Amino acid sequence: MKPAPFEYFAPRSVGEAVHLLAEHGTEAKVLAGGQSLVPLMNMRLARPSVIVDINRIPGLDYITPGPMLRIGALCRQRTAEKSAEVGARCPLLRDALRLVGHTQIRNRGTVGGSIAHADPAAELTAVLAALGGEVMVQGPKGARAIAASDFFVTYLTTSLASDELLTEVRFPAPPPGAGWSWMEIARRHGDFALVGVGAVLALRDGVIAEARIALTGVGPTPVRAQDAERLLVGQAPSEGLWEEAGAAVRASLEPDGDIHASPEYRTHVAAVLTCRALREALTRVREAS
Amino acid sequence: MKLEGTNTLPASVNTVWKTINDPEALRRCTPGLKELKEVAPDTYEARLEIGVAAVKGAYTGRLAITDKRPPTHYIITLEGSGGPGFMKGQGTVDLEREGDATLVRWVGDIQIGGLIAGVGQRMIGGIGKMLIGQFFKCLEQTLGGAAPAGGGGPRAGGDAAGSGEVG
Amino acid sequence: MALREITLRINDREYRGRAETRKTLADFIREDCALTGTHLGCEHGVCGACTILMNGEAVRSCLLFAVQAEGADLRTVEGLADGEHLHPIQQAFWESHALQCGFCTPGFLMTTLAFLRENPHPTDREIREALAGNLCRCTGYQNIVTAVAAAAEANLSQGWKVPEAKEVRREIRAGDSRDRRTQRAGIAKTKKRRTQRR
Repeated sequence: MKPAPFEYFAPRSVGEAVHLLAEHGTEAKVLAGGQSLVPLMNMRLARPSVIVDINRIPGLDYITPGPMLRIGALCRQRTAEKSAEVGARCPLLRDALRLVGHTQIRNRGTVGGSIAHADPAAELTAVLAALGGEVMVQGPKGARAIAASDFFVTYLTTSLASDELLTEVRFPAPPPGAGWSWMEIARRHGDFALVGVGAVLALRDGVIAEARIALTGVGPTPVRAQDAERLLVGQAPSEGLWEEAGAAVRASLEPDGDIHASPEYRTHVAAVLTCRALREALTRVREAS
Repeated sequence: MKLEGTNTLPASVNTVWKTINDPEALRRCTPGLKELKEVAPDTYEARLEIGVAAVKGAYTGRLAITDKRPPTHYIITLEGSGGPGFMKGQGTVDLEREGDATLVRWVGDIQIGGLIAGVGQRMIGGIGKMLIGQFFKCLEQTLGGAAPAGGGGPRAGGDAAGSGEVG
Repeated sequence: MALREITLRINDREYRGRAETRKTLADFIREDCALTGTHLGCEHGVCGACTILMNGEAVRSCLLFAVQAEGADLRTVEGLADGEHLHPIQQAFWESHALQCGFCTPGFLMTTLAFLRENPHPTDREIREALAGNLCRCTGYQNIVTAVAAAAEANLSQGWKVPEAKEVRREIRAGDSRDRRTQRAGIAKTKKRRTQRR
């Protein structure tokens, strides 16, 4: 259980890192928190011949508030979890962060790294999808923004090119007065979610003006439950409406089964958690007003 | 692990049959296949490099075609082992005419063991389906260039989107 | 692959060694620094046996490469006791019988240290959540939870900080069954007897 040999670089700037990635292409992997990559390397399931350790690059660990909450690539998950800014402007992210692994993992793991790793059962990817966020990436030809809907391609695969470095994750702030909820089922505390649901609700004049629902653990990428969202907008909130939304989510999913959960279990749990998340989000709307 | 699905390929049954028996087409369309060497009729030695994103492994093994009932039925067996683990898959393939196109029904029984099966358990099924999907997409592209038997007539449309379920 | 010179600061001391960049921090600590208190349980970040403190935070040393820890302030289980005097957390683990084989214990101790520093008055639920990243195959966890609660109590009543107050410890008396020297002598006697029988 020792990793295969590799060439190690610890660049001191984003430009240097990008240069290294461009030079070594698919043979290189970026090392940030290492909480996903190093286990794969220790088990030799991944054997990159070049490691580009970005932990020595200054100025990438920021949390900048604004209409988009901007989180630098090296911001540790634990820092974001405890940040007053995140708690105030993006409580959905904070609640999801608390369920990412354990404290020891979050002390090193980064928000950006989790997004770039794109595990199909990760929490943060679903939060990004739910909020309609985007990532900033830097390549040899310059910087570009990639929307969440274009970023996640399939299992562990994003639209990051092999010579691009993710530098920032942007979470749009929910509308004022919006309620949120993160619900997840996992066998043990800290496990990857069997199914996770993130929901955001905004009301205007007693009816739902905006609804966002995203799920993790039910497909190769986070899933936006757009059928359920459309169903909710314009309606007055009610228990029956939540159940309809849950049913819409169930109907739209075709998850795979594995030893942890069957497809039927996942669709059932997805529907139940959607209901519960919407219910909790509404409670928070009411608390906010 | 059982996987099954159907795919529609834009060619006649005879053309599809020829293609899925053609080692060139198999070499081109089997994801990760680097080398395919015939060692006996319908038996090949295979070398694969396969994986998702950074998780890649090299495997060596054997591909065999048995129970041939041309032009509509055979069983294809692929087994391989390597550092990350081993796999043994058996796929029963049946072809059915659907207008000018061919409906391919496949039922696969796949056993995966070793490290990749333990650690990758929650993704293996989905990734397996994805790779099979890539196989058929490649076949579709291969056949898209082939004229249907008889030539001259309009080419069948038919999307090659597959549906698969895990049992 | 080329060997690199690596200098680490562990338990307020400097350690220097040469290792490949692929050598994990856990392996470097154990092999190059001869600090074998940090254990390897899974080497993929799940069991917590390798937990150490890096700049005061609990981290998985099996998921760090030794080169990455240069310049950091590291603390391992060897840095808890003050000579013969156990750290209050170690004391609490001992008194609560929170260890059997002891393999997971260093990881639990380091996790607990970081946890109690941040949350000196935890609830039972908070303790369980904080320990969720460390696995134990022997104890069933209950005594470990008790030990952490007891250590927190010691904090309240004694006001210890790390490095902690020296009042809270048990005197090790000669002839005491807990006396390490006596135990070791006992083991040596048994070995001698066994060898003689052969």
